[in-house]
Amino acid sequence: MRISVDTEACTGHALCFGIAPDVFVLDELGYNVTPAGEVAPELEEQARRGALSCPEMAITIEE
Amino acid sequence: MTAVDETPTGDRSPTMDFDVYVHDSMDGSNAAWDALRERCPVVWSPLNGGHWTVAGYDDVATVFRDWETFSSERTDPERSSVSIGAAKMPLLIPEEIDPPRWKPLRRVLAEILSPNAVERLRPRVEHWVTHTIDQFIERGEAELAHDLSVPVPSLVTMEWLGWPAEEAASAASVFHDMAKFPGGTPEHAAGAARFQWLMGEVSKQLVARRNHPRDDALTAIARYEVDGELLPQEIAEAIVFMTIGGGVDTTTALTSAALVHLGLHPGDRQRLIDDPGLIDSATEEFLRYYPPARTHARTVTTDTEFGGCPMHAGDRVLVSEVAANRDPAAFPDPDSFDLERFPNRHVSFGVGIHRCPGSHLARLEFKTSIREVLRRLPDFVLDVDGVVEYPNWSVIGGWGSIPVTFTPGPRS
Repeated sequence: MRISVDTEACTGHALCFGIAPDVFVLDELGYNVTPAGEVAPELEEQARRGALSCPEMAITIEE
Repeated sequence: MTAVDETPTGDRSPTMDFDVYVHDSMDGSNAAWDALRERCPVVWSPLNGGHWTVAGYDDVATVFRDWETFSSERTDPERSSVSIGAAKMPLLIPEEIDPPRWKPLRRVLAEILSPNAVERLRPRVEHWVTHTIDQFIERGEAELAHDLSVPVPSLVTMEWLGWPAEEAASAASVFHDMAKFPGGTPEHAAGAARFQWLMGEVSKQLVARRNHPRDDALTAIARYEVDGELLPQEIAEAIVFMTIGGGVDTTTALTSAALVHLGLHPGDRQRLIDDPGLIDSATEEFLRYYPPARTHARTVTTDTEFGGCPMHAGDRVLVSEVAANRDPAAFPDPDSFDLERFPNRHVSFGVGIHRCPGSHLARLEFKTSIREVLRRLPDFVLDVDGVVEYPNWSVIGGWGSIPVTFTPGPRS
């Protein structure tokens, strides 16, 4: 699984981090700055739920 | 607040006489928005100065995100650009300002209300929730709007700002008092008078912090610099005003909604007691089902077609969070309250650049309040006949009275 974040679309709700703290990285203001990349198999479910929680639909998952 | 002036419609169609200001109960408001969304998701109403209404989830999200076409910028010096209505409203910053000026002004609040900054407030939120419940826990009865959902956000917010403690509760409850009583009543007039007093105090406090800084949010705002310059006084005032006006009675309304809900639905209450880990998804469902801010407004900047409708520069647009949150296209079985609903991308904090910057603090206050109520008065019984809703559900929905009885407990 691969994730990427549209940092222009992120407005800092920080819900992804609440659900998937082991996957997503926030900056000091709470905006998602996670680099695009592969997700470890044990974190895939967290990543999927974190992406689904985003009100801005700013997180893309490629299975 | 009612101002049902007919405005010429020109080529604007479809049209419907939709008067958002007649919504005098939650159920009535929900039903009116559901009916409008099903019949005409985008429609022109000639009432209240004339405005479009946007009710479907995708359209509401699009309007919120497209700030270039649907501006929040203040156009009338005395009247809000982000709500439809005749009442005079002081400027709210950064809500009523768009890029490029928006960015540094939003950053002021983004810094002092970031997830990390809010996490540092956790002990203070827990302190005020405990202190507030201590005031009534031995009595075995309470009016939970007055005794809990009003004071907690007031005390937390005003302490965070750095307000004098003895005035904190009364200063911040101004908005609740004005929402609780209909315009024209002496109680509403008293609230409006205190509103004027509060504005003067905000101004004085900011001047004081400029010269005598402390470790508080008022100081952070008073001494914030953009390109080496302090913020103009009226901008700093508008930012402080945003935190009180935007952050206090909205959190009050959400807490009240949950208390009423848990009083009416013992099954949901028991599930939250048995499994406190449900509070995160439950919080999002309370937000979806009971959005404190029911509607917002925007102004069209350029002639455009939206939802098949011809919109003109200068047209006002009423955007409905409540209608979006109840759109079956976005939320299966939207009328059912589901503690575990997921995903739950409600728009109760807005979406796009103007989304609520206080959402992290609001969630912390709400979750702490509900957790402690369920721990310390888990058997509370709601006096259903004594529950009083706000008289108007057009802009903010909430409750004026939530009487309960419970087994008395000890102070902490």
